[in-house]
Amino acid sequence: MSLGRRLASLKLTVVGMLLLAVAVGLRYGDPDRVSVWVLVIPMALLALNLLAAIATNPRIHRRGGLLAFHVSLLVLVILAAIGRLTLYEAHVELLEGQAFSVSQVFDVRAGPLHSGELHRVRFVQGPWTVSYSPGLVRGPTRSTVHVPDGRGGWESRVVGDDTPLVLEGYRFYTTFNKGFAPILTWIPDGGGPAYTGAVHMPSYPLFDFRQVNTWTPPGGPELRLWLHVDAGLKGDEAWVLDGRRATARLAVRTPEGRVELEPGESVRLPGGVLRYERLSTWMGYKIFYDPTLRWLFVTSVLGVLGLAAHYWRRFGAGWMAARDPARSGRDWEAGLGEAAAAVRRRS
Amino acid sequence: MEAVKDWLSVRMVAEMPWLWAGLAAYAMATWTALEGIRLRAAGAMPAVTVREGRVLFWLMLGVGLLTVSLAQRWVRIGHGPFVNLFELLVSQLFSLGLVYAVVYWRFPQVRPTAVVVLPILWILGLWVLMLEPEAVPYPPTYYNDWLWAHVGFGKLFLGFALVGTGLAGLILARAHPRLEPWLRRLPPDEVLDNLAWRFMLLAFVFDSLMLIAGAVWAQDAWGRYWSWDALETSSFLTWLALGGALHARLAYRVPLRLGAAFIVTVFVLAFLTYFGTPFYSEAAHKGII
Repeated sequence: MSLGRRLASLKLTVVGMLLLAVAVGLRYGDPDRVSVWVLVIPMALLALNLLAAIATNPRIHRRGGLLAFHVSLLVLVILAAIGRLTLYEAHVELLEGQAFSVSQVFDVRAGPLHSGELHRVRFVQGPWTVSYSPGLVRGPTRSTVHVPDGRGGWESRVVGDDTPLVLEGYRFYTTFNKGFAPILTWIPDGGGPAYTGAVHMPSYPLFDFRQVNTWTPPGGPELRLWLHVDAGLKGDEAWVLDGRRATARLAVRTPEGRVELEPGESVRLPGGVLRYERLSTWMGYKIFYDPTLRWLFVTSVLGVLGLAAHYWRRFGAGWMAARDPARSGRDWEAGLGEAAAAVRRRS
Repeated sequence: MEAVKDWLSVRMVAEMPWLWAGLAAYAMATWTALEGIRLRAAGAMPAVTVREGRVLFWLMLGVGLLTVSLAQRWVRIGHGPFVNLFELLVSQLFSLGLVYAVVYWRFPQVRPTAVVVLPILWILGLWVLMLEPEAVPYPPTYYNDWLWAHVGFGKLFLGFALVGTGLAGLILARAHPRLEPWLRRLPPDEVLDNLAWRFMLLAFVFDSLMLIAGAVWAQDAWGRYWSWDALETSSFLTWLALGGALHARLAYRVPLRLGAAFIVTVFVLAFLTYFGTPFYSEAAHKGII
């Protein structure tokens, strides 16, 4: 028997599937300690087995639908591998009114063959709302973004939850991570240039009780900031989180003690003056890029359609003619060729 | 008495009387199917035909009553039966009953399987009776058309797998000396086996479609098409087990009873995927809602 035929063995398929099942179980049980190769090796074995079967097995060749299904499985494995190599995943937090920039992304996970076109993505974050059911159960997120309309202007889109913003193939998904950000200006002593920035407070309302962060202005001391937000939060009623309706006082620790500021107020600190300009919001996005998505879908659907076509050609109309043997003699044999033949041989 | 009052007080909502009535209809179908098997064993085929007609009647009535129950609940809480275990169970009682009723009507050979299939439905029925019909908020990621495709294909998968399991169950039951006399007049094991695997292959097609639709939904809802969460891992293992069983049957001379055991194993895996995962994740994909 040739090597190709040995590799195409159905028994090897069964062994490969068993190994893959064990690997999936091991990896699920302890994904940190079990190497990804535990999954890759049985998958590679199955892919090799499949390739050999497609090349040498006449039973697959004769049946177009079955061939389509098995080819699609092989293509899916290849596409999934390409997807891993070209993948890009990251997170970004955008302030209302802020334009997206690659420099803001973090938690980046990019495949070695990723083309790096994220710098071409342009959009500006607008206002957003999140609805909550009683008990603070998160409902729909509606995030407005402004994207170039291709005619030199901007158009607004509303994204959120299962509706990502898709630009240049990159998919931006809103996350549960979103909150408030005080806009601050630091005016250094001695007449240097003023510096305005935003401090992203922890996710809201998840950390309603802990809206604390630190900020070190250029040339200034590290500042510890607290934000006292009034967003109308009602835990036992339906509620909409809308940054435009929220107000907040900013507390700052100074050498003399603690000072609370309303928007527009300032406080003198060692090295300069800190002004609380206004309250803003930020939205956290997950960025996902995989150029194979569309092809994975098309391939898998074609494969299953092939399997369905094979099924219909093999079993389609015949078996409906089969009848209960106790009632109609041997009529039940109709459409059940192999099984009926086996029974005849036995009797 | 107080315990009964408490039990009733949390269940006095619009959908419950219809649910109880639907389960009662399934109970009648089960009883009639058992009667049919007894008559078949005695060779009283005209009476069997009458009983089979009655089984179909009770089954369809049960499906109809469960449809009303689901509709009442949908109106009451404002969303479909997709979120908590109570909803998943009622929804499966409805869809499994419907798929099985259609197969029962169209394929006379599978009618004796009612004595295996209907008791399986009763596991779900008894389970749902122990749960409270509480309503939980609808996750925002569930407002997605692909959820319907995912759930629909899943129901067809489990429905056809249930029929295959019914046939496999008859093969295994007939192997038992005490049950054999009751099942002697059924089609030969080879025929039951052949039919069972046809339904399992059909289940495989819909299982594959369910995974595809689920992956598209997951990509939209959570920004990744596959992440090996509990439900995804379990459903992939089920798909792999079914695929492996189909290949093993081709690769080896699998004895009929072992083949039947394969089918039952696949169904148990699928059953655990649907109804076992909610034990540690009350809502499907809870960890990533």
